Amino acid sequence: MIAYLTAILTLVGVRALLTLGLNVQWGLTGLVNLGVVAFFAVGAYTSALLAVGGVSLLLAWPAGVALAAAAGAALAVVALRLREDYLAIVTLGFAEVLRLFLLNEAWLTRGANGVTGIPRPLHAWFTGRYDLFYLILVLAAVGLAYAALERVRRSPFGRVLRAIREDEVVAAVAGKPVFRFKVQAFAIGAGVAGLAGVLFAHYLAYVEPNMFLPQESLYVWLALILGGSGNNRGALLGSLVFLGLLEGSRFAKDVIPFLTGVRLAAAQQILVGVVLVAMMIRRPEGLLPENPGSE
Amino acid sequence: MPPLAQYVFNGIVTGGILALPAVAFSLLWRLLRFPNFAVSTYLTVGAYAALVLNASAHAPLELAWLGALAATGAVALAVDRIAFRPMRDRRPFSLAIASIGVAFVLENIVRFAWGNDFRAYDVPVTRAASVAGLRIGRDQLLILGAAVVLMVLAQAFLLRTRLGIAMRATADNPLLAAVKGVPTDRVIAVATFGGGALAGGAGVFLGLDASIDPLMGGGLIISVFAAAILGGIGSAPGALAGAMIVGVVEEAGTLLVPPTYKSAIGFVIILAVLLVRPSGLAGSRS
Repeated sequence: MIAYLTAILTLVGVRALLTLGLNVQWGLTGLVNLGVVAFFAVGAYTSALLAVGGVSLLLAWPAGVALAAAAGAALAVVALRLREDYLAIVTLGFAEVLRLFLLNEAWLTRGANGVTGIPRPLHAWFTGRYDLFYLILVLAAVGLAYAALERVRRSPFGRVLRAIREDEVVAAVAGKPVFRFKVQAFAIGAGVAGLAGVLFAHYLAYVEPNMFLPQESLYVWLALILGGSGNNRGALLGSLVFLGLLEGSRFAKDVIPFLTGVRLAAAQQILVGVVLVAMMIRRPEGLLPENPGSE
Repeated sequence: MPPLAQYVFNGIVTGGILALPAVAFSLLWRLLRFPNFAVSTYLTVGAYAALVLNASAHAPLELAWLGALAATGAVALAVDRIAFRPMRDRRPFSLAIASIGVAFVLENIVRFAWGNDFRAYDVPVTRAASVAGLRIGRDQLLILGAAVVLMVLAQAFLLRTRLGIAMRATADNPLLAAVKGVPTDRVIAVATFGGGALAGGAGVFLGLDASIDPLMGGGLIISVFAAAILGGIGSAPGALAGAMIVGVVEEAGTLLVPPTYKSAIGFVIILAVLLVRPSGLAGSRS
């Protein structure tokens, strides 16, 4: 039971980072990222491949974060020069193409077999209690990311992001370089998703392309919308509630007969989609509303 | 190895199929001002609606096709009423995200009901004719012919009928159109039903040309967008031309890159259009 709880909480932590990253992009700035999973994958694979190749984790981890942020910046530059609608499509397409790349370019990514034997940091020091150590490591990362993003949100930079979200013409008239702010916000969000990928890869010690399916991006969206977008506390709460939803619905198969295998998975996905759309219609502010008054 | 011309021909047939959802997607985007990601999943809905009529109720495929048009149009209309209409006044990107959620729900309802197996229509197997070294299937010609006829009808509707003109007016300037007495809700309902029907019909073609499975429509999402963006958002003839080009480039591209990268080709087309000619082939304004 302790082992199960430790594992679940570690995954909640990883998901919380993804949600915090999306919150910078969508919650604060109003930028659509439908390929959250791609930046997650860039972080995971970059760090995993470097580490397996013998590079120190002290270099591999920052490299994973940096490459994810750079990929985010590059996509944002291409898509945002025009209309923001295109960002949705470009990020969605990027996630799909990246997955194909991971599957097919076995010379670099080891293809469908995935990357095995990813080193776990300080493994020799914490034998027996390693999972607990890693949970604390992940929670510390979440705490740091939360504190840093709260600072960002309250800073003048964060206020500009929210101004852009509300009305970018007004922000531009006020002399703010809207395009640059948007690209920066998008890169920060992608970098945080990359950090989630790094922690994920070195936790499982194994990554493969099918861990990065398109629905993962939708899960992050649901967590953010559930918790309340624009709001870092909401992002944390949403990740926790989402995992409860997913884990809870797993027990449905014990209650409802005929609900096995493909059907159970499909029912779970239907639930995710319905809750997402219902929340967006009925309670777009989420469980914890943004409340811009509390500066 | 078949000649290049074979790839081009296959690509034109694929393009004909892609053209229908691309037009629907493009016009709905222009009219409702958000990219509706559920449009490509309407292909799946149409394909399975026809499968029920054809394989389970033993209707001939022509009749099943008409049934699929009506069923998918109705589904699109229901989706609009339930999910999109309550959110009309929100930021357009909220609607785009809701549409991803809708696509996800529809795809998984299909998966829940029919599983992940590949299926096929109950139609007599015909032998492909050989014309000048090309293998040309009867079904392929039928699909291409029907797709072109549908496109011509859609264009005629937009240009010649009162409702079509009202639709274009609303797409250009919704406020002005409403002031001038255009019934906005009716225009949106007709466009939604029509767009859904076009995509659903294309789904039956796709099921006939390839196979039927829950991912068939959603898997085309990038190609459909590539076609619509290449054609210029809001332009029906543009979307047709864009779809033909995307279809041919995707098929012929498999000579250069592994077929597994087919949807990557669509993505490269999207990036190229955004970088080189953002307004698309037909568009000038944005």
